[in-house]
Amino acid sequence: MLGSTADSLFWMFRYIERVENTLCMIESGFQLYLLSSSNLNNEWDAILRTNSIRHHFLKKNNSLDSLNIINFMLKDPKNFNNILILIEKARENARRSRGSITSEVWEAINTCWLYLNEELNKKINESKIQTIIKNTREKIALIFGFLERGMLKNEILNFCYLGTFIERFDNTVRILNTRYYLLLDEKKIRFEGYDNFQLEMILRSISSYRSFMWKNQNEIKANKVSYFLISDKDMPKSLIFCVNETIKNLRSIHKKKFSKNKSYLNALNIQKKIKQKNRNLNNYSFLNSLFQLNITLAANIEEEFNFQ
Amino acid sequence: MTYFTKTYDEAFINQDSIRTNYKKFISWYKNQDDNELTKINSDAIKFFENTGVSFKVYSSEKKENLIPFDIIPRIINSKEWDKLVKGITQRVLAINFFLTDIYSQQEIIKNGVIPVNLIQNNPAFLKQMIGFTPPNKTYNHISGIDLIKTNSDNFFVLEDNVRVPSGASYMIENRDTMIKLFPDLISRYKVSENRNYTKYLSEILKKSSPKKTKINPNIVLLTPGIYNSAFFEHAFLADKLGVELVEGKDLRVINKYLNMKTIDGWKKVDVIYRRIDDIFLDPLSFKEDSFLGVPGLMEVYRNKNVTIANAPGTGISDDKSIYSYIPDIIKFYLGQKPILKNVKTFKCGIKDELKYVLENLNKLVVKEVHGSGGYGMLVGPLASKIEISKFKNKIKKNPYNYIAQPTLSLSTCPIYTKKGLTPRHVDLRCFALLAQEKVTVTSGGLTRVALKKGSLVVNSSQGGGTKDTWILSS
Repeated sequence: MLGSTADSLFWMFRYIERVENTLCMIESGFQLYLLSSSNLNNEWDAILRTNSIRHHFLKKNNSLDSLNIINFMLKDPKNFNNILILIEKARENARRSRGSITSEVWEAINTCWLYLNEELNKKINESKIQTIIKNTREKIALIFGFLERGMLKNEILNFCYLGTFIERFDNTVRILNTRYYLLLDEKKIRFEGYDNFQLEMILRSISSYRSFMWKNQNEIKANKVSYFLISDKDMPKSLIFCVNETIKNLRSIHKKKFSKNKSYLNALNIQKKIKQKNRNLNNYSFLNSLFQLNITLAANIEEEFNFQ
Repeated sequence: MTYFTKTYDEAFINQDSIRTNYKKFISWYKNQDDNELTKINSDAIKFFENTGVSFKVYSSEKKENLIPFDIIPRIINSKEWDKLVKGITQRVLAINFFLTDIYSQQEIIKNGVIPVNLIQNNPAFLKQMIGFTPPNKTYNHISGIDLIKTNSDNFFVLEDNVRVPSGASYMIENRDTMIKLFPDLISRYKVSENRNYTKYLSEILKKSSPKKTKINPNIVLLTPGIYNSAFFEHAFLADKLGVELVEGKDLRVINKYLNMKTIDGWKKVDVIYRRIDDIFLDPLSFKEDSFLGVPGLMEVYRNKNVTIANAPGTGISDDKSIYSYIPDIIKFYLGQKPILKNVKTFKCGIKDELKYVLENLNKLVVKEVHGSGGYGMLVGPLASKIEISKFKNKIKKNPYNYIAQPTLSLSTCPIYTKKGLTPRHVDLRCFALLAQEKVTVTSGGLTRVALKKGSLVVNSSQGGGTKDTWILSS
């Protein structure tokens, strides 16, 4: 397999994952907007910071107007991570690696791209936001469905998953990083406006509110939320789940030679750090170091497999 | 339905009288519900959009254009087709013999069949290929032969494309689409399969490998990249062939062999199916500033450590000036009478023919031998007196640089419109594959159709579309 193909597959799935994650955040903010929640501004502020686009947004806008933010995240060319740009990049990488993915996977990505281009190039109407998000998420599910069911279980698939889980780890750790203060031990915390509602919003921003409640008998507590997002092996967006998947896929690519590879060793290191961590999260530097380690891990992968 | 055409139509003799090939189809068509056909027609567009079949990317805006597809098949019977296959086979073999000779002994020049200056001063003649025989003595592994009908039921050859002919992917996608749109119709006819093209292509590429002992040679498809107008086809074929789609940056010459950069390091390459032009192949041998190729590739090739398909330098045989000599080339190497006719072509380099051309410029189309895409061309019937006299001087100065052809009236075929069937001009590109002196012609080919009324331009860049081409089995 070509290094450049591995590169395209890896990035195709990073971008697809990023589209999905961005849409989840938009949806959680939009829900608050519909309820005219008093927490609306805080929430948008957190979402913009999670995506590192707050600064760009405020250059152009004076206030955190919901529809302006949604428009900015969906299609504003000043936002280099807008949905239109992300799906364009995902498709471009799919085109580059067209010979490695099945025609079903390709068509699923292509149709998603066609759909978003058609919808987002119109004026965005408040009543359509939920439909667009729902339809797009369905189309992304279709990509993963065809990937899972129709592709050979070989290194092509491994690189698709590496991209997915490196990106997902990045997203979850960013969300935690932005709102780490909410997850500090309750006894130590002195923060205005702190309440369960904001914890709920963290979960909603990664579409995991229901599964958390199901697992935790409908009780929201900071330490439980942080455990859920960091250390719960069953939770597909938790840090430990993402790094476990990364390790699994690296092993599979390297076959028996994995033990000496930098990427593999670094992934193990991340796994170890998470396991060692006490369930109560109490420092920002822990999350920040995980964030940095994940960036290094991605760079290791690019280097080891001769990406371009 | 009013159906009227001044030129030869492949389906209708006149409005009430249908040619045999189309009788069954037209009676089926007449029983179809109009609304249903309109819906099927728009479904066709959706199919092409979803599969991402496109031909041209990044014009002024970042846009991919779809080649319009017409849902009415073009129908050719097996008798006509058998003759085409024999004729194409003959041409493809003769061209390979010609290339072998022209880069070695040049017997054809010594025997006075072809004037030496047509070769010597021809930029398509690559000095780098002189005295070298490619692996398995094959130059034109893949040919795209363009054919037209004019005023009778006979096909004429318009062009032999043996550099990097494209279009096979559209031929296959067209058939896939027709099967999705009209499953009942296609099963009622005995239409020969054309989607086995990629199977045959895979076989001839394997056979072309320089290493005879290797059962599974490493084949790659070399593309200029995703911004190339034919990228869709490159990716499509790589996928169907099960080979890596590579760009120049993925390849490197290491220790006299060509290698590709894989996730496990460098891996040897045996065969390149290249979709870039000769001059970009190797900056050390050709265009110095090319980033599309691989430095040192030609040396690996000359050491017979890699096969390049098609071989560099094949362009000397599909050049417009050589075209007019193809019947002579067939006679010279095969000792046979040409089965397919050329379009009448006047060589301005020959005294008598030049005289005729200069006297009849208002009736002829004059082309530069090395021109393409309609540049440096005179369309006599449409030109002003001043333009004609200017062109006359140009021809006189350098007669070898020009050929002339009568204005051709391409045949028409019906296309679908909301108002019913209507005639449009068509041509046909047939795909022929060559390995070990055996030619395989894929059944049918790509019919290109000028969608504008009266237009003779079938090129996709100028509003041309395509059709599925049915060869009826006997």
